[in-house]
Order: sequence, then structure tokens, then C-alpha cells
Amino acid sequence: MTSTLPVAVPAGPGQQPGPGGRRPLGKSLLARVRPWMLLTPALLVLAVLLLWPLVRVGLFSLQDYGLREIVSGEPNWIGLANYVEVFTSEQLWAVVLPNTVVFAVLSVSFTVVFGTAVAVLLASLGRVWRTIVSSAIMAAWAMPAVTGTYVWVWIFDADRGVFNHVLQALGLQDAPVNWFTDRWSFYAIVLLNVVHHGFPFVAITVLAGLLGVPKELLEAAEIDGAGPWRRFFSVIVPQLKQIFAVVIILSTIWDFKVFAQVYLMPGGAGSNREVLNLGVWSYTESFGQNRYGFGAAIAVLLTLLLLAITVVYVRTILKEEEL
Amino acid sequence: MSRPTTATRVGKGVAVALLLVFTLFPAYWMLVSALDGKAGRGSSFVPADPTLEHFEFVLTDGGFDVFLRNSLLVALGTVLVSSLLALLASVAVARFRFTLRTQVLMLVLIVQMVPLEALVIPLFVQVRNLDLLGTLTGLVVVYVALALPFGIWMLRGFVAAVPVELEEAAYLDGATWGRMFRSILLPLVAPGLVATSIFSFITAWNEFVFAMTLLGGETQNYTVAIGLRSFFGQHSNDWGAIMAASTIITVPVMVFFIVVQRRLASGLTSGAVKG
Repeated sequence: MTSTLPVAVPAGPGQQPGPGGRRPLGKSLLARVRPWMLLTPALLVLAVLLLWPLVRVGLFSLQDYGLREIVSGEPNWIGLANYVEVFTSEQLWAVVLPNTVVFAVLSVSFTVVFGTAVAVLLASLGRVWRTIVSSAIMAAWAMPAVTGTYVWVWIFDADRGVFNHVLQALGLQDAPVNWFTDRWSFYAIVLLNVVHHGFPFVAITVLAGLLGVPKELLEAAEIDGAGPWRRFFSVIVPQLKQIFAVVIILSTIWDFKVFAQVYLMPGGAGSNREVLNLGVWSYTESFGQNRYGFGAAIAVLLTLLLLAITVVYVRTILKEEEL
Repeated sequence: MSRPTTATRVGKGVAVALLLVFTLFPAYWMLVSALDGKAGRGSSFVPADPTLEHFEFVLTDGGFDVFLRNSLLVALGTVLVSSLLALLASVAVARFRFTLRTQVLMLVLIVQMVPLEALVIPLFVQVRNLDLLGTLTGLVVVYVALALPFGIWMLRGFVAAVPVELEEAAYLDGATWGRMFRSILLPLVAPGLVATSIFSFITAWNEFVFAMTLLGGETQNYTVAIGLRSFFGQHSNDWGAIMAASTIITVPVMVFFIVVQRRLASGLTSGAVKG
């Protein structure tokens, strides 16, 4: 973690002409076909397993697609009825959309602010402590979403969880509380889980950027009388604008589609209708109620939402480097 | 630069301590509960009754030995296929300038953002039509697709970092393109290949939505991520066993992460996807 700059191995100008450029004429056809020969297997897999399914989820969303249609393979077109149902549903506006959007906004803010604070702390530490703390951060990052979620569920477990134990031992509450039934406390736990799992990426990335900010700039600012806050916001933040853009957009994409972290919590798999988000709603409608068409319409909405964010992301990346 | 006063030193120490507690507590608590014969019946922060019985139970009667084997098979299959495909594709995009190159890269970048919930419905139907529901093969096929875009994106950087001059020297010595690939490019991108393989491995190891959907009731084919659910009872959960199993799942991933952490910071911002 010492000097790795985030702009990894840039495509240098020296390699502009591929080997095709300097081969004898007779081989130029082979040289021109070669990239496509190399690409074909991967593109085939992507086409069959990612692009075609994306098209199909769109097609399903226009049908009353249930078990019968899956078995027979016959289409059952109903136009935009699924979308009409989604958009007129009380569930969407009162529960699902707030749970998705408000949660994403909150968790992105917490993740980025906390991650940046940790990066600043790491940058100010000596070599030994920086290694210790960043290894601990790696451990938090490495925790798989499934086991991480189970650990948080266990910590907050109503009957035997350590959180209730401690609160009772401190005399802050008389009887154990079930934190999973209330929508707000449910999502507070999801937030804790997501921030805990998400801040290491931000911290490590921003740290790499911080270490790349020229010392002279900071010293010059200090001589000009800028305090630590001023130095951070007027010198460091503008220098790391690209990094912050990438980190914020990626966190947004990830936090919009939290699934396991909600689905695996008590009541999160659909039995508690108050805590559904877009992803879980789509899944439970499809595989719980066998309403694959309706579930597909919700999935299309989520995809479009993410696509919009992705477009912003791609444009940020394009500004930064040549692909 | 700035003069560290005692107050800032103490403040920094406290911040580091709090950060370490917050960061490590879940992993610590998982381990403590896994080792505690009385998991959850007391409220001590060290195992009240240290024992390995949860691990024993999980790996024998719990059936986790089978789940581990399944997960290993699936993960290795995913790593082999996706690394090979990603390597070929990344050489194409890093070393050749061809029409549609930017479009191909764009496609690779965009498909990474597609939510799994949108893919799970059509892929369920597709895998069902292929008669692969409930099989490990079906799972490998899907995981290859999930691991591939990130693999291409990450390996691209490693391939581009190999100096073109080395390739040209090989050509001057009369090597064919295939020979150059084997003797020059492959050894030099090997570290990148290792890092990419580890990420494919983790993708397959951690994945949960597709395993749950595609394997359905085929308990003997469960992977570790959904095998965990078998310790959840109707009325009470066997938390000691759940935490022991979680520890078994988490440890290899943590080891991998710490091994690749140096490459991570650079690979991620160019590859830009979470493991």
C-alpha cells in the first residue's frame, strides 16, 4: 500500500501500432482477424449469458409470464400491463422506492465520508500502523456478503444477540427488543452492514490518491496560512476529483442493488412487506409468487436506474483516460 | 510539516483503536461464537466454554464437507474457463487496434453493472430449458459469465503493461505470434492472471442468488453460501454451527484478499468492480 497509484498501468503511447502494423503483407489478413479470433469466445459467452437474458427480461416484462408459460414456452403478451401495475402500486411509492433510493443515498454518503476519513487517518500514520490498520480493513472487505449478513443478524438477534445482552446489562432496556420487525431499525442494521463492507474500497482507493498528492502543494498551502480543513477541501479534494467521482458512482451502483444483505435478514425474504427494496421485490414476486412477468418489469426498472448511473460513470472514466 | 501535539497523538490513537474495533468486531464475534460451546447463552466477549464441537458437527453431520467440495468444484471450473477466455480477450483489446474496439470495451464495462436480479429470471428459464437446473454445471456456466467482464477489464491493464519491445524482439528472433504469446506474454502476465483467478474464485465462492435459484431443492449439490441456510431451524437457529460454518467460508477469502491487497488498489480502479 505504499505507492500504488490508482491510475493503474496506463496504456502508453508506445504501443499504438499492434503487431499487425509491422508484419509482412501476406499476414496482414491474419493480423486483422486475430483480435476477433481472440475475442470471439468471450463475446459469445457475454452475448448468450448476459445480453440475450437482458433482452429476454424485457420481453418477459411485457407478458403475463408464469409457471405455465415457462413450461410451454408459449408467449402470452399483455402489453404494458405489468408496468402499469408497478407504477400504480402503493407498494412501489410508499415502500419499495424509498427503501431503495433513500437507503442508497444514505449508505453512499456514510460510506464515502467514513472511507475518506479513514484514508486521511491512514495517510497520517507511520508505516507499521498503516500496515496493521489496512490489513484489518482488508479483513472487513473480504467478509463475504452472506456470512457478513449472518454475523450482523446474530449480533442483533432478538433472544440471544450480544447487542440486546449489552443493552440490558447496561440497564438501557428491560426486555430484549426484536430489531428486525421495525422498518427503520431493520434498515439501520442493513446500513451498518453495507457501510462496514463498503468503506474499505473507498478508504484504500482514496488513500492511494492521497499519497500521490505532491507534498509541495500542501506545504505551499500551509505557508499561505491554510488550516488542515482548508488544505483538505481546497488542495486535496480538487486533486482527487476523478477518484471521488469513481468511488461515489461505484458505491451508488452497488448500494442500489443490495440483495443478500436484505434478503437474508429475518423477514427480509418477502414476509415483511415493509422492508422490500426493488431487487428483493422483483425476486420474491418472481420466484415466490411465480409472477415472472411482473418481477421482470420491476427488474427492468432497476436495470434502467442503474444504467443511467453507469452512463455517468463511463463518461467520467472516459474523461480520465483513453480506454 | 505540522507539529504533532500530545493531544493530536492521543486523538489519533483513540481513532485507530475505535476503527480497529469497528472493523474487526464482526469477524471476531463470528470466531468467538464458533468456538463457544454455549454460544449466545452468556454475554461474555471471550468463549465461555472453548470447544471445537461446532466445527466437528458442521463438517460431519452438518454436511458441510459436501458443500465445501461442491463450492471448490464450481469455483475451480469458473476460474479455469473464465481466466482462459478473459486472457484471450484482454490480449485482443490491449494489443490490437481494431474497429469497434472501444465499443467492445464499453460493452464489457456496462454489462458489469447489470443487476443480478434482472438476470436471474431469464437465466433460470434458460438453464431450465437446458435441463441443467440443480446441477453444478449450470452454476459454472452462469458464474463464468459473471466473472468474465471483470476478468477482461483487469487483465487488460496487466497485458498493456508488458513492453511491446519484448514482443518485437521475439518477432525479430523469428518467433510466430503463438510462440511469442506462450514464451513472452504469458509468463509476464502470470501475476495478473493469478489476481484475476482469485477474483473469479471469490465471485463463485460467495455467490448466493443464483445458487439459491438454480439449485432449488438439490441439497446434495448445495454450495457453501446456501448450505449455511440448513442450520436455520423453524423456531431456533443453531448459531454456534452457523458461525463455525461462516468461519470456514470466510477464512479462505480473507487469506486471498490479504495476499492480493497490493494489486487490489491499482487493479480495482482500472477494473472497477467489487469482489
